Amino acid sequence: MKRILLVVLFGLLCGTAGHFACLYVQQPHLSNDNLDAQLSWIKTDLQLTPAQYARIKAIHEQSSPHLLKLASRVARMREEFSAFERQRKTAGEIDFLEFARFIEERRRIDSDCLLSSRQIVDASAEVLTADQRQRYFTLVPPALRPAPPRIPN
Amino acid sequence: MKPARDPLDPLLDRWRSEIPPASASADLPREVWRRIADAEVSALEPGLIARIESVFQRPSFAFAFIAACTLFGLFLAEIRVSRQQAQRNLQLAQAYVQLIDPLLQETSTADTRTP
Repeated sequence: MKRILLVVLFGLLCGTAGHFACLYVQQPHLSNDNLDAQLSWIKTDLQLTPAQYARIKAIHEQSSPHLLKLASRVARMREEFSAFERQRKTAGEIDFLEFARFIEERRRIDSDCLLSSRQIVDASAEVLTADQRQRYFTLVPPALRPAPPRIPN
Repeated sequence: MKPARDPLDPLLDRWRSEIPPASASADLPREVWRRIADAEVSALEPGLIARIESVFQRPSFAFAFIAACTLFGLFLAEIRVSRQQAQRNLQLAQAYVQLIDPLLQETSTADTRTP
């Protein structure tokens, strides 16, 4: 009986140790916000060749500072909009000239965002093969995918 | 005066004592089966434990058992890693989409935006 308990305990110990060792070894240690981690994931997901990966990485490294700047401007516009909304609720009125300026600025940023996003997607798609491109377009938002060619009637 | 004892009396007395009462004879088969079942259980229990003990006494079985436990632990770890990887891939995909599309955070879904 003592031997059975010993063997069972040792088996449980080995199983638990193996389990946590395997988890520790295979667990990713990179942050998701890191551009390198995202590009590594794209490389695996799209099965990029080293040359394709280098090109895609260069495109993203070139465009990402501008995109991050745009993201912060979008966040700032969102805060401004909330301020307008608060003012409308509390004071019952807003400065329409200021709001018109805000709308204009927002349109400009939206247009800039769309253009920059399309540029990075198009530039990346050019590096990819047809199959990779098809897979890549399923990852990006529909607004950034190229419009399907129209068939004339 | 005491009557003389008939020679048949001891035989009749023995016959009465050997015949079980009517209620006892009705329970007899049940009692027999209960005793057989008890005997089987008592015979089986020590045998099973003894057999398990004898199996664990073999070093080959002990090693195989420990190896099976280790493999099972690794298998469960693989399942967990696979789930974590799938979840991380999803987070990476979302982070990438947010990077290339700054407006996505605001609209929350890209499907609502017209291209």
